[in-house]
Amino acid sequence: MAAREFWKRHENLYFALTNKKVLIGISIFTLMILLAIFGPALTPYSYDEFAGEGYLPPSKDHLFGTTLMGKDVFTRTVYGLRSTFAVGFIAGTIATLIGCIIGFLAGYYGKWIDEALMMITNIFLVFPLLALLIILAAYLPYRGIMTISIIVGMTAWPWTARAVRSQTLSIKNQGYVNLSRISGISVFRILREDIAANMFSYVFMVYILQFSGTILAAVGLEFLGLGPTQGVSLGLVMQNAVNWNAIQLGLWWWAILPGLVLTILVVSLYFINTGLDEVFNPRLREM
Amino acid sequence: MAVILVFAFATVSLAYERSETLVYGGGLWGAPSNWNPLTPWAEVTGTGGLVYEKLFHYYPLSNEYQPWLAESGEWVTDNTYLITLRKGIKWTDGEEFNAEDVKFTFEIAKDNPLHYSNIWDWLTDIEVVDSHKLMFIFDNPHYQEWKQILYDLRIIPEHIWSKIPADELLTTANENPVGTGPYMADSWAQDRMIWVRNEDWWGNEVFGKPAPKNLVNLVVSGNNVALGMLMKRELDLSNFFIPGVPKIKDTFGLTTWYKGAPYMLSENVALLFLNTTKKPLDDVKLRRAMAFAINPEMISEKVFEEQVQVADPTGLFGKAWMEYHSEDVVDEYGFSYDPAKAKEMLEQAGYVDADGDGWRDAPDGTEMRFEIIVPNGWTDWMESIKIIANNLQEVGINAVPGFPDYSIYMDKIQQGTFDMVINNFGSSRSATPFTYWNWVASDEINGEIVTDGNYSRYDDPELFNLIDEFNVLQSDDPRAMEVAAEIQKKLLQAMPSIPLWYNGLWAQSTSQYWTNWPTENNPEGYPCTWAGKWQYGSIEMLINLKPAQ
Amino acid sequence: MGKYLSKKLLIYLITFFIAVTINWAIPRFMPGDPISILLSRFSGLEGGREIIEGQFVQSFGLNQPLLTQYFNFWRSLFAGDLGISIYVFPKPVINVIKEAIIYDIILLVPAIILSWIVGNKLGAYSGVNRKADNIMMPFFYFLTSAPYFWFAVVVAFIFGVKLAFFPISNAYSSTVQPGFNLPFIFDFLKHWFLPFLTLFLVQLGGWAIGMRNMIIYERSSNYSKYMESLGASDRLIRNYGFRNGILPQVTGLAIRLGTVVSGALLTEIVFSYPGLGYLMLRAILNQDYFLIQGCFLFIVIMVLAANFIVDIIYMIIDPRVRLSYSGEV
Repeated sequence: MAAREFWKRHENLYFALTNKKVLIGISIFTLMILLAIFGPALTPYSYDEFAGEGYLPPSKDHLFGTTLMGKDVFTRTVYGLRSTFAVGFIAGTIATLIGCIIGFLAGYYGKWIDEALMMITNIFLVFPLLALLIILAAYLPYRGIMTISIIVGMTAWPWTARAVRSQTLSIKNQGYVNLSRISGISVFRILREDIAANMFSYVFMVYILQFSGTILAAVGLEFLGLGPTQGVSLGLVMQNAVNWNAIQLGLWWWAILPGLVLTILVVSLYFINTGLDEVFNPRLREM
Repeated sequence: MAVILVFAFATVSLAYERSETLVYGGGLWGAPSNWNPLTPWAEVTGTGGLVYEKLFHYYPLSNEYQPWLAESGEWVTDNTYLITLRKGIKWTDGEEFNAEDVKFTFEIAKDNPLHYSNIWDWLTDIEVVDSHKLMFIFDNPHYQEWKQILYDLRIIPEHIWSKIPADELLTTANENPVGTGPYMADSWAQDRMIWVRNEDWWGNEVFGKPAPKNLVNLVVSGNNVALGMLMKRELDLSNFFIPGVPKIKDTFGLTTWYKGAPYMLSENVALLFLNTTKKPLDDVKLRRAMAFAINPEMISEKVFEEQVQVADPTGLFGKAWMEYHSEDVVDEYGFSYDPAKAKEMLEQAGYVDADGDGWRDAPDGTEMRFEIIVPNGWTDWMESIKIIANNLQEVGINAVPGFPDYSIYMDKIQQGTFDMVINNFGSSRSATPFTYWNWVASDEINGEIVTDGNYSRYDDPELFNLIDEFNVLQSDDPRAMEVAAEIQKKLLQAMPSIPLWYNGLWAQSTSQYWTNWPTENNPEGYPCTWAGKWQYGSIEMLINLKPAQ
Repeated sequence: MGKYLSKKLLIYLITFFIAVTINWAIPRFMPGDPISILLSRFSGLEGGREIIEGQFVQSFGLNQPLLTQYFNFWRSLFAGDLGISIYVFPKPVINVIKEAIIYDIILLVPAIILSWIVGNKLGAYSGVNRKADNIMMPFFYFLTSAPYFWFAVVVAFIFGVKLAFFPISNAYSSTVQPGFNLPFIFDFLKHWFLPFLTLFLVQLGGWAIGMRNMIIYERSSNYSKYMESLGASDRLIRNYGFRNGILPQVTGLAIRLGTVVSGALLTEIVFSYPGLGYLMLRAILNQDYFLIQGCFLFIVIMVLAANFIVDIIYMIIDPRVRLSYSGEV
């Protein structure tokens, strides 16, 4: 009886947990997180160690084979995955936060604040971000994971801002918010009680997309050689493979597997996102 | 789209027969844009050598000079050098080449700030004896430097360059280079430079005619592209360091200088500079101990797949330099990989782990932590310093690799804010070890920035004097041997920089269109298309090539 | 209509202004000295370097007051003068870029247009055919999730190395003679194909997913249900949905142009395809500040121009925008 009450109250959660896409996505995503957390402990090698012969295809000893110099590709992948998660988390959070704040302010206050903020947003939106990142990164001498995350995050927010603004607009004009406004409740409280509560699911989905978007942007930078100058990352592993002729020498395990892991991670995020979309938009659910 | 294409390629439209064309890459890094012989660091490779010729060529393998534009040259007195030029040489515009052109080439640097202007600090006058004879009169002849100038300086035509305004000397692209050489600029596109044979070249009768009618120098973006092109026989010759060559060279029929390891000739020496202005790197005992701790063998084996040779403790290599190599000095002061000995030396010098953190500390108890840097993206060096850092860690020295961007790398070198750095910019093979010593122990270390070598900023006036003295000694002077041994001894005793390995003259060739490449068994010519090195035998290679059947 | 366009134009102008200012400011306020870097690898006679360095600082105007430098920057920009490249010294940056940008256009325009059309068609099909949907959707997700450069590596490995159908570097072979002749055009297309395929496929996923969702949304709408109840065919309903779905997809195109251009830059690098991306990488590796700036500026201009074209297309196909433009930018 209580269980039924619970599911009735949390109808969306019920749909989410029974949605095939969400389940698949979450399973893969969890697997990846586990891999990133425990992977380094599982492999007997360290990131830069000469683990064995060079040019070895995948085998029991070397799940993803070895590089030209005999480093273990699996080990490199799991270490890289770790920092990829870090980038997605930091940059995704920054982008979502900025996007939400700007989007909310613009949507809620309207008028010239809206005009000005949307102008800025639109400018950022048409700016080719990778080009801007390249410029920034090229001139920043030492770069760590943190620096990369911050510059990626600072440039990835505009479409979030636009989306949040239109959501805010539509919620704002609903009766209960107007009621709260007329009764002189503070903006902060309206935000918290009326708007945030209604937008939570939406922002969560935005966050998922930002997570994957910023990961892709960061990996692109790393591949260009503009990633962290210190440390480890998936983009670096892939750039290394290309630079050391993995494609031409036929070391597909080195050139392709690390990127495959990344792609699967991003796919899992898309799955979660689309699944949730279906959960929150019943019209999509019918399919 | 077709319209765009036509528009884009309208500039280049002649046809080249592949069997008469040599396709190579590795020395051209961007769209061809500069044929100015006065800016050799920016010229399209081949401008000096294929078009603008030098007075002499120098063959590093036999250590011999080959008279080129000059017929002969000799010191007639201690301070006069007489050059006799060949007769019957013409610039490609038909004007005759004579002594006035040579004189002009030197004197233009007297009146304008050019990269070789400093020669006038020790050169007094040039007298044209007759149309093909010149006397160079020096007040303080730098014999060793002169040896290099003879084969380095691109001789330019007076009738053209005297008309170029002074402020354009460095900025002109010189798109129609007029030289005396075996090839002429034919055309270029964003990704290639095409040279065409000069059928009227004076050398055709003297040395023989270069075999390829056309040279196509491709802009190849990196070693991975070069490897792909070699595999498909699209490149006849590549001058890249290519990982994997030892593994696949037989499968794909690639020719390298040596059949087996080390595959390549040595071209320059990579050194680890230790910043002697930083404590405790100012302690020679620490520096020497480090030399014993590093395992260049492992670098050669793992990173370069044995394509490089481990360096001699003196850093010297090649016939010209090795003539001055002192066995005795190496026996007494040399070093080799011996971690046990390194540890022992460190213990004795007081480098022990005082605070128990697992790393050795300086004798005065301060913690030691060093960063070894190379530019980000220089993948072979990046892997190398990881090994070096590991080696040092194994003997208890806390060293970590760092990969700043190139600009920062250079900045740190110039400002002296680094701990340890790998570099080889001034250690290229030459006719005299002076060029190497003058770079590795340059005395230009007291300026605001250091740019001429000796990044360690090792300050030893005696050493500097010895190097200067070597410069003003004739090569056959017995004193030169003594000075050379003394220089080697001082460098090894003080160890401001550690010679580690010899970077190779990376060269891989295919035999689909051309054969008879220079190799250890056929040492005619020098398989090199890098800028500024054509006088080492690349022209001879072109002459000796044979079309494949 | 006028208001819509002028507002858009204003945004583009401001963006351009900011881009130029960033462009001007960054190299001047960041550490590292471009001139000394340029000469760092040149070892000549002692002291020769300093002499030349002085000459360069003067000719690049780096010794003037900042404000003067800024105004000069704008002035020379309008004169089409972006400075002189250091990496391909002494070629004017504008000429270097002109030669490269052709390759971007040849690559991007067909890839964008074709993948938009094919992606939308496939998506629409997937939206009404459940069986096809189950097979195609995971594939579309995979495509849209793949980083461009990684996908390029995969394509290069499969088609270039394993099957060896296509070359994996450069824009044309060293052996053919550029010109308007069949062997060259054939060779050029062979080199063009893999980078094109990469860009085409990675984008395809996104368009297909977008259109599929749109169709499903439309199908569940009341008017579709009404049509269904009247016995309209699947095809007819799909067509209606498709027409309604197209508009958001055009907007989507505008939003994603930046990403696509970025993707093209990375793809060019994998295939050593001599467009702006490849050029920019070389410029970065050689610390050619003037060339980096030039590339950046042209990428911005390219994206702005493309955005503007999309705006106009949008205006033409959506009469509502033409008639009443208000609020939303």
